Amino acid sequence: MAPKVQVVGVALAALLVAGSVQAGETLTVYTYDSFVSEWGPGPGIEEAFEARCGCDLAFVALPGGVDILQRLRLEGQDTAADVVLGLDMNLMAEARALDLLAPHGVDTGALDLPIDWSDDNFLPYDWGHFAFVYDTERLETPPGSFEELLDAPDDVKVILQDPRTSVTGLGLLLWIKKVYGERAPEIWARLNERVLTVTSGWSQAYFSLFMNGEAPMVLSYATSPAYHMAVEGTDRYQAAEFDDGHYLQVETAARVATSEHPALAREFLAFMLTPDFQRHIPLGNVMHPAIDLGDELPEVYERLIAPESLTFTPEAVQAHRREWLREWRNAAAR
Amino acid sequence: MALVAVAGLGLGSLGALLWQARELHPAMLWQEPWLAAVLRFTLWQASLSTLLSIGLAIPVALALARRPRFLGRRLLLRAMELSLVIPSLIALFGLVAVHGRRGWLAPLSDWLGGLPDDYLYGLSGIVLAHVFYNLPLAARLMLQALEEASPAQWRLAGQLGLSRGVLWRALEWPRLAPLLPRLAALVFTLCFTSFAIVMTLGGGPASSTLEVALYQAMKFDHDLALAALLALTQLAICLTLWLVALSRGGTPSLAVGGRPGRPAGRWWRRDAQGLSRLTDAFWLIGLAALLLPPLVAVLVAGVLGLPEMPRGASLWPAALRSLSMAFAAGLGSLALAVALLAGRQWLRDRRRPLAAALMEGGGQLILVIPALVFGTGLFLLLRPRLGSGWEGYALVVLVNAFMALPFAMQVIRGALPGLSAPERRLADQLGVRGMARLRWLQWPRLRRPLALALAYAMTLSLGDFSVIALFGSPAAPTLPMLLFQQLGGYRWQGAAATALLLLALVALVFAALDRLTRHPPRHRWRAASPQGRPDARLP
Repeated sequence: MAPKVQVVGVALAALLVAGSVQAGETLTVYTYDSFVSEWGPGPGIEEAFEARCGCDLAFVALPGGVDILQRLRLEGQDTAADVVLGLDMNLMAEARALDLLAPHGVDTGALDLPIDWSDDNFLPYDWGHFAFVYDTERLETPPGSFEELLDAPDDVKVILQDPRTSVTGLGLLLWIKKVYGERAPEIWARLNERVLTVTSGWSQAYFSLFMNGEAPMVLSYATSPAYHMAVEGTDRYQAAEFDDGHYLQVETAARVATSEHPALAREFLAFMLTPDFQRHIPLGNVMHPAIDLGDELPEVYERLIAPESLTFTPEAVQAHRREWLREWRNAAAR
Repeated sequence: MALVAVAGLGLGSLGALLWQARELHPAMLWQEPWLAAVLRFTLWQASLSTLLSIGLAIPVALALARRPRFLGRRLLLRAMELSLVIPSLIALFGLVAVHGRRGWLAPLSDWLGGLPDDYLYGLSGIVLAHVFYNLPLAARLMLQALEEASPAQWRLAGQLGLSRGVLWRALEWPRLAPLLPRLAALVFTLCFTSFAIVMTLGGGPASSTLEVALYQAMKFDHDLALAALLALTQLAICLTLWLVALSRGGTPSLAVGGRPGRPAGRWWRRDAQGLSRLTDAFWLIGLAALLLPPLVAVLVAGVLGLPEMPRGASLWPAALRSLSMAFAAGLGSLALAVALLAGRQWLRDRRRPLAAALMEGGGQLILVIPALVFGTGLFLLLRPRLGSGWEGYALVVLVNAFMALPFAMQVIRGALPGLSAPERRLADQLGVRGMARLRWLQWPRLRRPLALALAYAMTLSLGDFSVIALFGSPAAPTLPMLLFQQLGGYRWQGAAATALLLLALVALVFAALDRLTRHPPRHRWRAASPQGRPDARLP
């Protein structure tokens, strides 16, 4: 297969001129499990990238973003990774502290995120909001804010995830902290009345409980309904839009400083912001693409909620996470 | 050797964590007052679960032994073997479908008006799930012990027309008693270290186990010192329990050594008549009601998901990969178990009971070390690079073999002491030694327990997700990995189908191993293991 070289952006063009990308190299990307599964965006992206780089793209999948960070930490300078893909904003500060990452050097002009992005190391590839997904057959008028959720009738129960073991759980912790600040413990205590149960991971909550009809609402992503609508062809599951705004998750990739293929790694990061990569995101990873895909964005994405974005800086999360977790534990432990 | 390997790897992985951790403050444990609450809750739910599982398993096992033939008995036994090895995600799905707020039982409990509609959440749910997991295991192992009873004893009991109470005192209790301490320790350890079930059904942070704290310390905080400390706490508690159980359990009574020379038969039992019919029916229906509906729920969801099955390209290779890894892990586990148990016997013969107990306890060590600690510790030991391709899978097989060891030992233990003293003397006099002794005297008694142990070990490895997640490769997933990938991609129905295939494979492994060892070996004169399926032939 002849390499189909497309010139994307100034950085990549410069690289190609330098001629430092060689055929036959292997680029090792650490990522998370669902990204590379048969149904995830991984296979399509691998095919597209290998066609243009003439190299071999090897994904190493770990169970989740936290595990990527953990693996990097354990391997240190000896890591086999050239690129890590799947660290979200909340893990950025911890990953940066490892001193293992190199600047991405990619022009971020194409980025289309709800917030401004300027970071030398981390380059976003998708984003989405945490949200409560509800079953329209069981809940006609979903709550429109945290206050409405807290004051909902007794039978409106919600399934959460534990912030100590799951990314979505941590998302809710930060979300409530952002909205309520000092009042967060009081809100957690009140929210307890609405909670059916707290699971260790998203899969248990969504698959074992929510899809079994155990509760009308579950903590998930605002983009979850897109999958149900586009692939399953049902409008039954929708996300409740809160006036308070929604906590934002941005997923990023970064280059590893010890990589033996720095040029190829840069090429991959630049490729990340092209339609060839991004078109696999909306229905493969079920998140918003990081660039404007134009007509290629599936139609169902027009029908998702578009709330205001709330964020803490990665440094703030790193500095306060333990303290906030303790606060949550004390307030939520009945 | 085996002990060194087991203890070495287990403690080594823990040691690696401690060594990596910069500093260790045991005082940290007490600075976190909530840990005391977590510990209290963990102990409480595990005790309750153990008490109920074991307590209820006794009448169930007795009823099963008393009724060697009834419609669906084999199906029930197979389902009992299944329950232990179902991955928690699938078990949860089934339990929720049956016992959940919208479950099959909801209309019934509405009608009865008694049960609160969310009894599946909170302590009652945790205990229900643990009983679902452990009662069948306990009852299955007890049944095996009961069926080992010598036919001569049963014949005598039948001729004498012994009543229920006498049978219990004379035959049943002496077989169960030596088993109970170990079984209780096994079930307690399983409940103590249970993670996904306790979190999902527990309802909130008030009901977490030590493992949650460990998980957070390890993954989010990268606080290896705290993680190692928590693991050590868990280790100390459970090993203490094991030592107590092993010392209490003592040596199995001599009667176990005296084995029948003929296939076990079924003898007329006076206690199988009259009121027993009712009570036995009660226990057996109770068991079926606990065990079967969640499995049926998984079955139904799986069948509905069949059209959504992943393209053959990934499914069948995954199934094959899972099976071959499970087979390798199963064999490894058997080898380790036999080595450890033989070592124990050797030590015991030389009157070193403490060393023997230590040998045996070493095998249970694995049960207590969280997979996360084991995996990460191994990783640290094997640095710098590992975890991809062939090496990764070899490691998974190895770790799975270790993980299944406690179960394999539990199953084989009863059969291994083998020859009674007179038999041994006779064999010595006749010069039956070495291979011949193994083939003619020991193998016939060992083959069925070995097959059951292999089945448990294989199926545990088939359902493993925690270890494969650390070292596996996503491009070549095993079935459980495939399942999680599907869930991550919202493929519910396909996931249900994968879960069904996983269950079917597990059932198949049991059925195949059972069939292979059902018929006695050719040399009939000294044939048939005492576990020979008693319902297969008449007296």
